[in-house]
Amino acid sequence: MSSIRYEIRHRTAYHYTGRIDLCHSLVRLAPRSEMGQTTVNCTVAISPEPHFQKNGKDYFGNEKKYFSIQSSHESLEVVSSVIVDKDIANESRPDSGEVWDRPKIKGFHSRVDNTNIPLGNYLLPSAACPGVSEIDLFLQSSLRPGREIMEVVSELMARIYTEFNYVPGATDTSTPLHTVLKKKTGVCQDFAHVMIAALRRINIPARYVSGYLETIPPVGQVKLQGADATHAWIEAYTESTGWVGFDPTNNIIPAEQHIKIAHGRDYFDVQPLKGTFIGSGSQSLVVEVDVQRI
Amino acid sequence: MSPATLLPEDHSRNPASSILYQASEDRRDESLSTEGAVVAEWSEVFESIQRHGVQGLNDWRNAAARISRERGLAYRPASVEGGVEDGWTLDPVPWVISRERWQGYEQGIAQRIRLFSHLLKDIYGDQRIFSERIVPAEIVLGHKGFLRALHDFPMGKGGGSLGLSAIDVARDSAGQAFVVNDRFDKPFGLGLALENRTVINKVLPRLFRRCRVKKIGQFFTEWFDFLQRTSPTDSERPLIVILDPSEQGDDSEISFLANYCDIARVHPSDLTVRDGRVWIKALSGLVPVDVIWKTMPGSDMDSLESEKRFSKGVAGIFEASRQEGGVSLVSHPGAEVLQSPGFYPYLQKLCRAFLGEDLLLPPVATWWCGSPTAMSHVISNLSSMVIKPVGSHHDLRTQYGRLLTAEQQDDLKARIKENPGDFVGQEELMISTIPVSRQSGLVPRSAVLRVFSFLDEHDKANVMPGGLARVSKLDRGIISTRESGESKDVWVRSLEEEEPYSIANELDRTRVFSPEIVPSRTAENLFWTGRYAERTDVISRFALRVLDIRNRGISTVDTFERDHENLLMKTLFDIFDCESLLENPNSDPDILNQVLRNRDCPAGIDFNLDRFYSASQAAREEWSPSSILAIGSCYQGWNQRSGPFDDGSRYDSGVESLQLSLAAFLGLNLDSMTRDEGWALLDSGRRIERATIICGLLRFLLDSDQLKAEMQSVLNESILYILDSVRTYQSRFHEKPAPELTTRLLLGEVDYPRSILHILTRLYEVLQKVPTPVGAIHPGETILPQIESLNSFILSMDRNSGSGVFDRQVAVLFIDQLLAFLASLSDNLTTAYFSHAVKKG
Repeated sequence: MSSIRYEIRHRTAYHYTGRIDLCHSLVRLAPRSEMGQTTVNCTVAISPEPHFQKNGKDYFGNEKKYFSIQSSHESLEVVSSVIVDKDIANESRPDSGEVWDRPKIKGFHSRVDNTNIPLGNYLLPSAACPGVSEIDLFLQSSLRPGREIMEVVSELMARIYTEFNYVPGATDTSTPLHTVLKKKTGVCQDFAHVMIAALRRINIPARYVSGYLETIPPVGQVKLQGADATHAWIEAYTESTGWVGFDPTNNIIPAEQHIKIAHGRDYFDVQPLKGTFIGSGSQSLVVEVDVQRI
Repeated sequence: MSPATLLPEDHSRNPASSILYQASEDRRDESLSTEGAVVAEWSEVFESIQRHGVQGLNDWRNAAARISRERGLAYRPASVEGGVEDGWTLDPVPWVISRERWQGYEQGIAQRIRLFSHLLKDIYGDQRIFSERIVPAEIVLGHKGFLRALHDFPMGKGGGSLGLSAIDVARDSAGQAFVVNDRFDKPFGLGLALENRTVINKVLPRLFRRCRVKKIGQFFTEWFDFLQRTSPTDSERPLIVILDPSEQGDDSEISFLANYCDIARVHPSDLTVRDGRVWIKALSGLVPVDVIWKTMPGSDMDSLESEKRFSKGVAGIFEASRQEGGVSLVSHPGAEVLQSPGFYPYLQKLCRAFLGEDLLLPPVATWWCGSPTAMSHVISNLSSMVIKPVGSHHDLRTQYGRLLTAEQQDDLKARIKENPGDFVGQEELMISTIPVSRQSGLVPRSAVLRVFSFLDEHDKANVMPGGLARVSKLDRGIISTRESGESKDVWVRSLEEEEPYSIANELDRTRVFSPEIVPSRTAENLFWTGRYAERTDVISRFALRVLDIRNRGISTVDTFERDHENLLMKTLFDIFDCESLLENPNSDPDILNQVLRNRDCPAGIDFNLDRFYSASQAAREEWSPSSILAIGSCYQGWNQRSGPFDDGSRYDSGVESLQLSLAAFLGLNLDSMTRDEGWALLDSGRRIERATIICGLLRFLLDSDQLKAEMQSVLNESILYILDSVRTYQSRFHEKPAPELTTRLLLGEVDYPRSILHILTRLYEVLQKVPTPVGAIHPGETILPQIESLNSFILSMDRNSGSGVFDRQVAVLFIDQLLAFLASLSDNLTTAYFSHAVKKG
C-alpha cells in the first residue's frame, strides 16, 4: 500500500494587551497513530519557554501536553511541526449488516471499542451534544424502518451538507446546538456536533474528531501559506465495522487528505489549546495552519 | 399503641410531674420500646428531663441557643439569601445510641467505605464493574462527578482515598437500618457535629458524664495522622490546609473545623500552582502546601482540566497531584461520582464481587429506571417513591411522589420515560422518630443519623462514635440539610468511664503543623475590616452630632443650624468621594436620612457596615469567640433597629449602641488577637483610615476661613466632637476651638492617639510585623520620612505660635501631601501583600 507524507505546521499565537504573570495550558496537537495514519515526527515549540511541562495521554488516548509559564509575558506562541504518513486507501462506505432500529443488546453502553473505552461515552449526551428536541425533528425524515445503519449515517451526513449553510464566523465555541439547528448555519465543528447528537439519539455511538484537511489550490494557482485550517469531522461505530469516519462539512468519507489529531465526545474533549492565565488585559489570537505534501 | 409514659414504672416516683412523651402512631421511636417503655440507654436522659420539668427543658434550649449564637454557629442553607435569618439550631436533647446498636452501625459503615474505596479504584482504573456487567456503564459515564481527566490520577498512599465520608443512616418502622445518602466530596456536618458536642457538653455536663458517652476527639487525631501520612513530600512536618470554596466564610462550619484543628482554611484563590507544586499566596510570599483536605467537588477543583466551562478552581492542581512530590488531595477529586443513588441497586452484587461479603447495612430499596422492568415498577408505584436524578446534572431536585398532584405525577412519569437512565426511584421510608424539645415539652420527630468515617491507607476504617442528628421539621417531614435546620448531638454509650471531654486536649496530641500562615486574601479582608470599622465609626459620629444639634439647638438664628448641618454633611460626602449624591435630584433631601438609611450611599452607615461585615466574615477564623459576638452585635444590632424611619432623632440610641459595639470590637482586637501579621494589617487598615479622615476634616476646617467667625467656631467644635477630641482639646488649650490649635492637636500631639504623628508612629511600629516583600522595599520604611517632615512642620508651627502668622494655605498643602502619602501607602500594601502581582524568582 502506498502512502503520502505530509508536513504540517500549526501555529497559535496569543497577544495580550496587558502583562500575563502566570499561565497554565493543556495542548492536544500530536496526531494519533491509527487507522492508516502514522506519525513520523512531532515537535511542539512553545515561546516563551515554559517553566514546567509534562506529556501524557488523556482518557481517550490522545497525546496531551501540560505546561506552565510562570514569569511575566505579553504573548504566547505554540507551534507544532508534524510529519505524518497517510495510507492511500479507497474509502467507501462499509455495510454493517445491521439495521438502525433493532434494539441494542443489553449492556451496550458497557461494551468497549478497540481502544478499550466503554461505548457509553459516545452514546450519552455530552456538553456540546445534548439531546435536544430539535434533533428529533431533524432526524425524522431519515428514520425509515429497517434501513442499514451506515446508510442512515451517510444520509444524515449528506443532509447536513445540503441543508446547512457553511458560514465562517457565524458561530463560536459557545453557540449552543439548538441555535445551530434552528439557524441551520455554522462551521465544521457545529456540523460535527449536530451529526453526533443525531446519531447518539438513535443509539449509534459517535465521536468527534479534530484534525487537518489538505486543501488543493485551483489549477494554476500557488497554494498560500497558512491558508489551511483545523478541521473537524465525526466517526460512527457499529460492532461489525468498528469506527468509520464521515465528514459532514464536505459530504465525504475521510481518506488520505484528512489527518486526524484527536477524538473525544465533542470539541471540549479535544481542544487543541486550552489555557487559563492570570493577569490583566484582553487577548487577540492568530491561528495558521499549513498542510504540505512532501 | 398507648401513650408512652416517660419513665419505666419503677423510676417514676412522682407521676404527677412526669412529662408525657407520646410517640407517633405509625412510626417507630428510638427512645421507646414497641411496648412504649423507655429503653435502657435513654433512661438517664429521661430521668433528668423528668427531674427538671418543662421549665428545665426550656432552660437547656435557651442555654444551647445562647452558647451556639455566641460561638457564631449559624449554618445558612444556600437557598436562603440575605437578611437576618434563622441559623442552624441545636436541640439540647441528645440522640442516645446503645453500645450494641452502635457496633452494628460501625461495622456496616466500615464495610461500606471499604466497598466504596474499591469501587473508586475500579472506576478510575480497570472498570471491572463494566466488563463483568456488575453496574451499567451509564450510571458512571453519565455522572458529572466522573472526571475523565483523572484516569491517570495517582492512587498511592492516601491520595487516591475516599477521604472523609458522611453516610446517612435511618431506621424504618420495622426497626431495620438503611443507608439513605452518601457524601464523599464534601462531608457537610462534621464541623457542626464537633460544635454541637462542645455546646451540649457545656449545657449538660453532668448528664453527659453520667451517660458515659464515647469521645470523638480520638477520631480527629487519627484523621490528622492519616492526612499527614498522605503527604507526598519528605517533609517531617507536612503543611496541611483545608480548602473551602465559600466566599464569605458563611459556611461557617468549615471555619469551625479550621479553628478547632488549627489549620489554615484557604480559598481556591489563595492557592497557585507553580513548578508542579501547590503554593499558598501568603503575606510572607509563597508557601508550599503538602496536603489539601478539600471540601469542594472535584468537578470544580481544576479550572484547567474541568469539564465545566467556567470553574473557579485552581488551574494546574490536578497536574500537581500527578507529580511525584507534588501535592496530596484528600479526598480523591473524582469521588463525587460515588454519591450517585444509581449504585444502590447493585451494592449487594458489588459487595460480593469486591469483598466477597454480604452487605451489612443495606441501602434504601432503589430502582434504576434505565432497566425497563425497574422503570415500570417505579412508574406504577410513583406515589410511594422518592425520585432522584442519577447524573446530578439536572435542574430536577429530589421529588416525593406522595407530595405531587396527579398532573405533576404525570409530568414526572413523562420525564422518566423520556430519559429513563437519568432517574432512580427509592422507596420512601417511614423514618423512625426521636424526642425533640419544644416549648411545651417533648415531641417525636423523624431523624437521620449522619456518620463520619474514613479509611486509612491500610484499609483500616475509622468511624467517629457519634455524629450529626438531623431532625425533620414536621413529624413526617423530609430531611435535608436545606430544608431542616435542626440538629442534635449524638451520644454513643460506652461501658467504660470516659475522660472528661476536651477537644483541645485531644488535638494537642495531633501533630498538625500549622505555621502562622496568613493567606493574602485573609490579610486583605482584615485590612478592610479595619478600614470599614473606622469608617462606620466616624460616620456614626457625624450622624450623632447632627442628631444632637437637632435635638438640642445651638443658635437662635433660624438658618444657622441648617447651614451648619449642610456644611458638615458636605464634608462627610467629600471625604468619601460621593458629593455627587448631594446634587442628585432623586436623592433624599434630608441628607441625614441618606446617611442613616441609604444602603447604597458610600457615606452611609449601612453601606460601610455591610462591607465591614462581609470582610470580617471572609476572615472568620481569625476572630476570637468574643470578637465574633461583637461583630454580630454591630451588624445584627444595627439591622434590627426598630422605630419609625421618618424621624431621625429616634436614631440616637441605635447609633449610640452601634458605636458601643464597634468600640467593643476594636477593643477586643487589642486584647484578644495574637499580634501577628494579620493583626498588623487589621490595625494598619484602621490607622490609615483614621489618618485619612482626620486629614480630610482638617483640610475642610482650614478651608473654612471665608465663613463667619461664629460658624467657623461651631464647625471647629463639631470636628472635635466627631473625632472625640473635645475634652483633650479643652484640657490642653483651655481656649475656645480655633483652627490653628485644632490643627496643632490633631497633627502633632505626641501622646494623643488621634494625632497624625501618633498614628504614623504606631503604623510604622505595627508594620514591622509584616515581612519585607520580595524585590521591593518594606512599606513601613516609607513612613519614616513622613514622620520627619511632620515633626519639622510642627516645630515651625510652634515657633510661630501666638505670632498670628499661622498660614492656612501652607497647612493645607502639607495636609494634601499627607493624604497623597496615605493613599499610596494603601496601594503599596495591596501590591506587596494582597495581589501577588510580582512573582518570586
